[in-house]
Amino acid sequence: MKKYWKSVEELNENSSIVAKLEEKEFVSEIATDEFLGDKETLEESSTSRRDFLKYVGFSTAAASLAACEGPVRKSIPYVVKPEEITPGLPNFYATTIADGYDFANVLVKTREGRPILIKPNKLANGTTNARVQASVLSLYDSLRLKGPKLKGNDTTWSDVNAQIKASLADLKAGGEKVVLLTGTLASPSTEKLIADFTAANGNVQHVQYDAVSESATLDAFQEVYGTRALPNYDFSDAETIVAIGADFLGDWQGGGFEKSYTAGRQADTGKMSRHIQVEANMTLSGANADKRIVVKPSEQVFALINLYNAVTGESLPSKATAKDADIIKAAKQLKKAGTKGAVLTGIQDKNAQLIALALNAYLNSSVIDTATVKYTRQGNDAEVQQLIADMNAGKIGAVFTFNTNPVYTLANSAEFVNGLKKVKLSVAFASSEDETASKAQYALPTPHYLEAWGDVQMQAGSYSLTQPTVNPLFDTKQFQDCLLAWSGSSESYYDFLKNNWNSAILGGTSWNQALHDGVFTSKASENKAKTIDVATAASSLKAATKEGAFELTLFSATAIGDGQQANNPWLQELPDPITRASWDNYLTISQADATALGFSNPVQDNGAINGDYANITVNGVVVENVPVLIQPGQAKGSFGLAVGYGKTKAMKSEMQVGVNAYPLAQDLKVVQIASIEKVSGTHKFACEQLQHTIAGRYEILKETSLETYNDKSIDPKHSWNEVTKVSLKHEEVDVTAVDLWDDQDRSIGHHFNLSIDLSDCTGCGACVVACHAENNVPVVGKHEVRVGRDMHWLRIDRYYSSELDADSLEREINKNSTSDKVDDYYALEVPAENPQVAFQPLMCQHCNHAPCETVCPVAATSHGRQGQNQMTYNRCVGTRYCANNCPYRVRRFNWFKYNENSEFDFNMNDEYGKMVLNPDVVVRSRGVMEKCSFCIQSTQQVILNAKKEGRKVAPGEFNNAVACSSACATGALVFGDVNESEDEIVAKKEDSRAYRLLEAIGTDNNVLYQAKIRNTEEV
Amino acid sequence: MSSHYEAPIREPLVLGEKSYHDISVDIAKPIEGKANKNWYIAFTISLIAFLWGIGCITYTIGTGIGVWGLNKNIGWAWDITNFVWWVGIGHAGTLISAVLLLFRQRWRMAINRSAEAMTIFAVFQAGLFPLIHMGRPWNGYWVLPIPNQFGSLWVNFNSPLLWDVFAISTYLSVSLVFWWTGLLPDFAMLRDRAVKPFQKKIYALLSFGWSGRAKDWQRFEEVSLVLAGLATPLVLSVHTIVSMDFATSINPGWHSTIFPPYFVAGAIFSGFAMVQTLLGVMRKVTNLENYITRLHIEYMNMVIMLTGGIVAVAYASEFFIAWYTGSPYENFTYMSVGAATGAYGWAFWSLILFNILIPQLLWIKSIRVSFIGSFLISIAINIGMWFERFDIIAIVLSKGHLPSTWTRFEPTFVDVGIFIGTIGFFGVLFLLYARTFPVIAQAEVKSIMKVSGENYKKLRDGNHE
Repeated sequence: MKKYWKSVEELNENSSIVAKLEEKEFVSEIATDEFLGDKETLEESSTSRRDFLKYVGFSTAAASLAACEGPVRKSIPYVVKPEEITPGLPNFYATTIADGYDFANVLVKTREGRPILIKPNKLANGTTNARVQASVLSLYDSLRLKGPKLKGNDTTWSDVNAQIKASLADLKAGGEKVVLLTGTLASPSTEKLIADFTAANGNVQHVQYDAVSESATLDAFQEVYGTRALPNYDFSDAETIVAIGADFLGDWQGGGFEKSYTAGRQADTGKMSRHIQVEANMTLSGANADKRIVVKPSEQVFALINLYNAVTGESLPSKATAKDADIIKAAKQLKKAGTKGAVLTGIQDKNAQLIALALNAYLNSSVIDTATVKYTRQGNDAEVQQLIADMNAGKIGAVFTFNTNPVYTLANSAEFVNGLKKVKLSVAFASSEDETASKAQYALPTPHYLEAWGDVQMQAGSYSLTQPTVNPLFDTKQFQDCLLAWSGSSESYYDFLKNNWNSAILGGTSWNQALHDGVFTSKASENKAKTIDVATAASSLKAATKEGAFELTLFSATAIGDGQQANNPWLQELPDPITRASWDNYLTISQADATALGFSNPVQDNGAINGDYANITVNGVVVENVPVLIQPGQAKGSFGLAVGYGKTKAMKSEMQVGVNAYPLAQDLKVVQIASIEKVSGTHKFACEQLQHTIAGRYEILKETSLETYNDKSIDPKHSWNEVTKVSLKHEEVDVTAVDLWDDQDRSIGHHFNLSIDLSDCTGCGACVVACHAENNVPVVGKHEVRVGRDMHWLRIDRYYSSELDADSLEREINKNSTSDKVDDYYALEVPAENPQVAFQPLMCQHCNHAPCETVCPVAATSHGRQGQNQMTYNRCVGTRYCANNCPYRVRRFNWFKYNENSEFDFNMNDEYGKMVLNPDVVVRSRGVMEKCSFCIQSTQQVILNAKKEGRKVAPGEFNNAVACSSACATGALVFGDVNESEDEIVAKKEDSRAYRLLEAIGTDNNVLYQAKIRNTEEV
Repeated sequence: MSSHYEAPIREPLVLGEKSYHDISVDIAKPIEGKANKNWYIAFTISLIAFLWGIGCITYTIGTGIGVWGLNKNIGWAWDITNFVWWVGIGHAGTLISAVLLLFRQRWRMAINRSAEAMTIFAVFQAGLFPLIHMGRPWNGYWVLPIPNQFGSLWVNFNSPLLWDVFAISTYLSVSLVFWWTGLLPDFAMLRDRAVKPFQKKIYALLSFGWSGRAKDWQRFEEVSLVLAGLATPLVLSVHTIVSMDFATSINPGWHSTIFPPYFVAGAIFSGFAMVQTLLGVMRKVTNLENYITRLHIEYMNMVIMLTGGIVAVAYASEFFIAWYTGSPYENFTYMSVGAATGAYGWAFWSLILFNILIPQLLWIKSIRVSFIGSFLISIAINIGMWFERFDIIAIVLSKGHLPSTWTRFEPTFVDVGIFIGTIGFFGVLFLLYARTFPVIAQAEVKSIMKVSGENYKKLRDGNHE
């Protein structure tokens, strides 16, 4: 037994003290007697027995309460605080996304070292689409590849390096071919690096492959202009744009044209371009067009040749189409525009592209730009197919894939997989263990672009830099670092990049400045054109064009694109701007064909729509159980189907939606002759809008023609922008003149307004995703969206026109008095066969006289001094009266707990996904109402910054702070302070096009709409 | 109630050769005797429904309002439909006991006790819905203007939902006091008859020491009159305020100045229908045919016809005004061509059928005085009035201002379960009441024996047989 010494005395065995100690526990007398023995003192004490018991009771209760611990949240302070990080303040970094499909100069907002929001880098003229906005969440994808793998087993980078180096040496010795199969890189430094790699490893070929190919255009441009690139277009000064099967407001040739397109369509300048769209599917471009000519894909080819003939007066071999009259009108319009006209085509045939180039050359078009050409698509279909053949023939020694997922995206993916097995060394650089990575021997994790270094040349003379904004989350290594290592270099890619920029690109200017700006521009050189043999092109085009009863056009959806971000819940939940369906791809079909084939979309009692399934066959390849959705404006005899869905590898189960359409894109062609067969089963769509037309309520979405707008003799307030009239003391007055409320003085301090230009909104959806990211808007999943419980604070309503408008319907009814009026009025609810389309972004209107504020029993929603309608989540008890009383239906209720709930396994239920949450915005609990706040956290930040710096808030500063308006590429959304006369919003408020939604209700909104102007002028 | 002169042509209100003692015996029988098999069957069914409802409520509170069929555009449906339906049902009691008391309508004496019991039990059910329809019902007390430590937070006196809180709680408390006051002499009668000491003790407590002295009776009369005076405006105020939940909002179809009187009429309409339904069952089960007579049935049917007529005119004017405005926003209100031909046409036509067409059968005297006929019609009205509230809420919300927000509603099993649960809860309360409370105000009925009893009338008319 251990002995504990109490004192040195214990050494002395005979010590009296020790003896005493053994007898007594306490050496000195305890003064109990002194304390309790004196009866008098005790009696004097105010502490009675009962009090004593109270004290005991209290301390027991207090002790046990203190033992009930709250949940422990660990927050670890910085041991050494990084110089640039101040907790609570965001840092912005300029960088560039270049994932092979989307290319954009962006600004990344980071908080405490975490990227949380993507903004367009406006200094670099950057614009962002929905996928770029959402890419920040893909960084936190929990299914990313977290370390290198060899044949499905974890391995280490040092082993991988050693093994691959050895293999490469063997291959070099054997003289075998090494192929780098990548998506479009457009990276000057990587190209140089590949050249170095080739030098080190001998027989190396770099093949670029785009899942959605622009190879035909690249071939055509190369033939004429000698460089493999895409022509650029600047629509800001265009007068006539004829697009044939080219969704240039979508992803056609890399997209990004909406900014110059809307710049050329500013009605207040007195003129705007006339946009004629010739297409089969209803696309974003078709939806924005002034005139939409509906033709099948095979007829688009002849429409192009006929257009060429009509403009030039030549007679190239062609065929008559049903819409030739419209094509001739388009030709007249083009001729009238002269150099300010342009023809675009998306027909994937080199000859068609040659004809388009020739036509633009004939017009001497200033819209097409052949100098600052685009490099954002580099895929070479022929090389890809050759590679697959060579792989199967055993001619390839090694394949390295990077930034591409051919096993998923190739139509002949089985052949590729077969060939991959015959290759000695197969290495897939991938961000997740996707279809290709799981088939290759090595699956090597690459960092997300927000964790990586890089550069990209999106167009001639414009160089962008990618810089890491966060430490790598996983054990990843850049493709370029690996190549450097395998070329025998000890340099890091960062050094390589910097050296290359300093020596080849910057021309003596500062690297730090370029890194800060994210972009460096130099002058692009002209490309000399060769003459085009149009006749041969037309005849071989005619010969190559096949017609079928049913022609399928595959396209990339606005939300999902080519499918590489399919595991991103924000994108899955983003409704398609045209169909407003989310979480799905589907076959779009015309009403006529649907009736003939027996397809329908019945509305269910819960407000959701269902659909039938079809099997689609292209050259013997069948894609089964494709849901069918009836699409107004779809060409009869044509179908549309989005690629990018139906992915199953490295996908959360909720995200495995839709069917994979890539197997139908045979020979990388998106247009195919297909056959279709109805099969049994009912599909449940998640569609956010059931009523497709405006049902005669035209004052909701006002529009007029350019001609009427320009006619100064017409007073807008009494015609196309009429204010509802009411009777006041038997006088007809504007509804705005009558008010039940005493108005507050709102002229002092900031007062925010948001203007939404319906002419400028192309419907791209970038603002919707930006709002999700900024405001921690939860994702609710397919079923909840289906039953009408999406949480979008900002939505984009889409309306089709009906065959007859209300006035002409009235005339019809008066003419034919026997007709059934009720049925006739229902005609207003049916979209036209080829409808005009309008988009209307809608968020909380921040009414100065808000109907929601008066009805809340607990005053949880109230009015801010700066014009916002504010929602106090903590106070909300969830009666939903405010939502019922909101005429705009913009309030969103937390029906369930959407965070940390396995029923909603999206980013908020995920330890990585939660890192994207904006710490400035609270995550709402279940049972409370939420809605747009005008990004009050950002506007307050702007105000505080200005205050701290002792200056006024600069004009436009608020506009850049608010998520939706700063994400808008076209400037359709303008946010600002109406009390600041220099702010753009002041002019917007006074504009003759400005109106408030449902003004007759008298809610006095702080959101304004600018009426849509269409250029209906036909030559 | 002193005995006034009564015209000889008036039909007797109490049938049979009843002495005062017979009345005491008749009223006390269900309480002192054993329950029959039917009572147990009905009680079991009600209890199961009640427990099922509790289960559904627990599920809702535990998981979220998402287990209901609501969506972003239809924020209320069955919850508030049921709330208004139950509040409406709770209207007959006070009308019968207070308004008819002030008008000296003696026929009310046979039915006022049960009608008031029904009122109170219905208001219990009604009060449940505003609480459980909240996203965070555990914070429901925030709607009460009580001093708190949340800062300077106070309730929003502009909100009709807050007015509801006051209206419903006032109505419940006044109804309860009024009901209990009337019960005092009857509880005392039961106390005096009770043989088991425990029973005696309970009824002694419940009767608040009623002694039957003249002073007791005098005070009883005075309090009854004062409470009747207090309760009368409540008959009008409660449903007026409930109607303002809709009328003060801006939804086309809700924003309607006709709502307060129309809702009050509708509430009385549905309340009387529910009294008919309950009494139709109760007079049979508890052998009270001599007290609840054809005459009572007919009088109540007359009130139903009057209020039903007001409701029908209100519907017609709603329909007319919606059309007359020429506003496209009014095309789809619950009373419009759009509603009649749209997705909710079935609900619209159910309302027309059950609330307007079927009650018209009461113009026929033989149906009006028939027990089975008026029982069936009362059931139809109960259904019709439920549809009225459902139509007003769901049809209007399903077609809001912006066509992009048009949608539909489908209830889930939880929506249905909670509604069934409240019917079960109501049944449980009413069945327990029928076994323990004097279901007819016997003290009052005794007071009219000498003017309205069949016995007395025969004596007076000299029809000695």
